[in-house]
Amino acid sequence: MEKKRLTKILAQADKDIVAKLSAAIQRTYSPVIVKEPGKTLTMIKMREPVKQSLFYIGEVIVCEAMVEINDVKGVSVIMGDDIEKALDIAIIDAAINLGVFTGMDQLLELEQEQSHLRMQENALHLKTMVNFNSMDQEAPDDLNANKKE
Amino acid sequence: MAYVAVSGGKEAIEESIRLLDYYRSGTNKDIEIEAIENKLSLLVDRVMSEAGLYAKTYAALALKQCEGSPEEAVFLLRAFRSTLTRNYYTEVVNTEDMRIVRRISAAFKDITGGQILGATYDYTHRLINFDLDQENAAELKEHMHNMLTSQTAEEIHPCPRVSDALKKEGIIDSCEENNQPPHDVTMNMLEFPSDRSARLQTLTRADTGFISGLAYSVLRGFGQVHPTVGELRCGYVELYVPYLSEIGESIYIGEIMMTEVECFNSADDKDQLKLAVGYGAVFGRNENKAISMSVIDRELDAGGPHPTQNEEFVLMHGDSLEMNGFISHLKLPHYVTFQSKLDAVRKTRG
Repeated sequence: MEKKRLTKILAQADKDIVAKLSAAIQRTYSPVIVKEPGKTLTMIKMREPVKQSLFYIGEVIVCEAMVEINDVKGVSVIMGDDIEKALDIAIIDAAINLGVFTGMDQLLELEQEQSHLRMQENALHLKTMVNFNSMDQEAPDDLNANKKE
Repeated sequence: MAYVAVSGGKEAIEESIRLLDYYRSGTNKDIEIEAIENKLSLLVDRVMSEAGLYAKTYAALALKQCEGSPEEAVFLLRAFRSTLTRNYYTEVVNTEDMRIVRRISAAFKDITGGQILGATYDYTHRLINFDLDQENAAELKEHMHNMLTSQTAEEIHPCPRVSDALKKEGIIDSCEENNQPPHDVTMNMLEFPSDRSARLQTLTRADTGFISGLAYSVLRGFGQVHPTVGELRCGYVELYVPYLSEIGESIYIGEIMMTEVECFNSADDKDQLKLAVGYGAVFGRNENKAISMSVIDRELDAGGPHPTQNEEFVLMHGDSLEMNGFISHLKLPHYVTFQSKLDAVRKTRG
């Protein structure tokens, strides 16, 4: 599984679920902490659509951690200040990199639940989609209205 | 103007600080951080935006600490931020991929992807709801959760920008991607004329009241008249940072809510054959600030005799921390300077 997808599932997961997955790994392996979990900042780089240039909109607080299992690294960076969760995710990442992670099915289930909830939230918002009926016949209906052929 | 060091007042200052707690102690009821974060979220968004730091829980905590004063909360967040290292930069965030919760256009009725009102106070009666005095928060949460989970899931599709179609038509200029590293006003002094990235970063961090007032002055005639909101979109964008350098993948660190605006204006070319666009983007749900930013962005591009078209005037006076710090300094002892003013007046009076 791509790291993007994997970390999205883990970052959005409840911390207790992540802790259980990590605990299962620690029953067999002894992760070594390479970088103690701690808070740091991440600067957010944006592209604006007018001139297509880059700018910084601001920073976000993240927690980072790095561990090793059998000399194989695992890292995590997640928004917020949940140090324990950051460490647990780094342990899971190391286990995946080592090829000994057994909870992938659970992660896939989690992903489905997360995705379903987001789509339900999307449905809530789509209910507010409107079509304005203009009282003015001259008012353009859409982007192509009044466009010269 | 001159300053003079004074000593004394240490005990009084300590008691004054203690007295702040007295002013927060008028009730047995506490206000929980979680409640501030979730029920005063627009205030939290404003503080995060002006602090330039997306940290909801800390913004809520700061608001609790300073009795809800936005400028004090911004000060606290900025101070806290300065204690942390910055170890990461995100990959470039493109708002085309935004998970939209609100999207409107004042330029066109029908836009590809639709106009989504989302949650807005625009259509509410501005009448106080006295029932809220007895609101049961747990019941409300459960009710809303049930409403959410009873929805039939709808696929999420990114919406194209309204400006894209006008760019294809040549009515709005299209630009090549510019990957020049941005100026960072938190690390480097602002210089004039400023880089576009410095301008946008300064405007997005600006005090909401300041920037809204400036935009209002434009609409009243001290600038270009009445730009049109081509698109206002609000939603979540995902943040990624590079994974271990030797692997070359990315990792998801979370998502932030933001509001983005493109406003359309008459172009400055003499033939008026094109539209010009102003841009605004801010943390959280803060539409008036994003619209104001887009208005000011365009004003600064246009240039002219009005204050909003003067880069130094706009960019040097809108930072919450700087403006409130400087105004606040007027409360400090100016005994010597005032005494000299007083002497001058007395001498003149004979």
